[in-house]
Amino acid sequence: MLEVSHLRKVYGPDPTAAPAVADLDFTVADQEFVCVLGSSGCGKTTMLRCLSGLIPFTSGEITLRGKPVTGPPEDMAFVFQDYSRSLLPWMTVRRNIAFPLRYKGVDRRAANEATEEALDAVGLAGRGDRYPWQLSGGMQQRVAIARALAYRPSILLMDEPFASVDAQTRSGLEDLLLSVKQRYGITVLFVTHDIDEAIYLGDRVLVLRPPATVGHAVTVNLPRPRDQVLTKQEPEFARLRGELFAAIDGRSVAA
Amino acid sequence: MRDLGLKVSGVLVVLLALELCSRTGLLSRDWFPPVTETYAELFKLAAGHPLWTEIGRTLSGWALGIALATVLAVPCGILLGSNQTAYRMTRVVIEFCRPVPSVALIPLAVLVYGVGLEMKVFLIVFVTFWPILLQVIYGVQDVDPVVRDTARAYGLPPLARFFRVTLPSAAPYIATGLRIASAIALVLAVTAELVVGAPGLGQSIVVAQSNANLPRMYALIIVTGLVGWVLNLAFQAIERRLLRWHPSQRQEVAQ
Ligand SMILES: Nc1ncnc2c1ncn2[C@@H]1O[C@H](COP(=O)(O)OP(=O)(O)O)[C@@H](O)[C@H]1O
Ligand SMILES: [Mg+2]
Repeated sequence: MLEVSHLRKVYGPDPTAAPAVADLDFTVADQEFVCVLGSSGCGKTTMLRCLSGLIPFTSGEITLRGKPVTGPPEDMAFVFQDYSRSLLPWMTVRRNIAFPLRYKGVDRRAANEATEEALDAVGLAGRGDRYPWQLSGGMQQRVAIARALAYRPSILLMDEPFASVDAQTRSGLEDLLLSVKQRYGITVLFVTHDIDEAIYLGDRVLVLRPPATVGHAVTVNLPRPRDQVLTKQEPEFARLRGELFAAIDGRSVAA
Repeated sequence: MRDLGLKVSGVLVVLLALELCSRTGLLSRDWFPPVTETYAELFKLAAGHPLWTEIGRTLSGWALGIALATVLAVPCGILLGSNQTAYRMTRVVIEFCRPVPSVALIPLAVLVYGVGLEMKVFLIVFVTFWPILLQVIYGVQDVDPVVRDTARAYGLPPLARFFRVTLPSAAPYIATGLRIASAIALVLAVTAELVVGAPGLGQSIVVAQSNANLPRMYALIIVTGLVGWVLNLAFQAIERRLLRWHPSQRQEVAQ
């Protein structure tokens, strides 16, 4: 369980300056899929960076399974918005996936197995010896996801991971994410600015209003497994979309 | 293949033109012997020992100088590149020392080290230290922040971050620094030999000139050029091998 209470983040030395995250309260239950929806610049990335322990926050509290987060937690994985830059160009795909495992104390054999399994799960078996820059954008994103999976996190943070891939690849990646989440039983906190994507993926959708406060939260009562065509035709889907659209306050949600 | 043919014929045309100019008296034979004589002398030299000894002398100054400069500049650059305070403190010193014309130091070097190998090495170290240092600083400062965050998010300890992330991503900069240093070092070695009479190719050129052995002088000049060319090729080949992943070296692969 991830608990966030009164999270506040102000960049720079002056604590009275305008906050990037003002006052954030929410919890994510184990194995829950929570989507965070918000327009560009409303503090989504800042929130994730605080949650992942990458940057210190100004005040408030973040606990993961009861332990306060002060640095990157061991059982958390992060998929960055800039996926192509988060892959190390001097390492092959396989090494990109495997290198964090050593520092987690996984022995070489188990690391190799986890790597191959993750490659297989994202449909990149046989591409392990390539370099990331020899792959298309969608494949690079799958490598980033495979790295997160091989790390066997209990919670996965994702920052607009599919924002810059084409629509076709995107729905493929969404379904891939849902199926591996199911298979590994991971908790997912997924940031996006796309209303349809948030509803399609999530158990719950939180709407962030700038400067990051939770403005609205909805529970998504759509059956699983979800289907790109059928789920999006459900009246409930349309209702949620309307509700969320209003919650974002008519503000443009395009990037 | 066709490219190679063009290159070779280009060289042959130039040589032929020079030969004609000299034979017809267009260029005075007092200071420009026919190319054929120069090449005959070159092959004669290449067959005998002294030429290789002289090349060895010049190159040992080159190699020792670069090795020492690298050993000194890389740790300094890493320190200055990763510590803002240290960087700001030393910037003025660096900006002052770097543009000192290298030959201005020759009298000092002779005074302290005499006219042998040590003098050459001192000059080379003093001058090539700066380009290597600056490239290392830039390289360390230019690590992609997303890559840095990735390494931290996946729990790499500081030392591992340094060897797995900082050093590889600075490698192309360091390689550039070394390539620049190599060219400067050769110029300096030969200059020191010419001006001071330290043993090596430069000194042999002076001796040939004062004995009025013009074909030999030209042959030695050509040898000096070839040495520089070969060194540059060697550096390029090493870069291509080690930096396969870098955008400047990437080669297309079949899908
Ligand atoms: N490193 C930083 N230093 C100062 N301000 C920042 C920094 N990163 C983001 N901000 C500011 O914080 C606000 C929220 O940014 P961000 O979290 O990136 O939003 P989002 O991810 O929702 O687009 C923006 O106003 C942005 O300018
Ligand atoms: Mg963002």
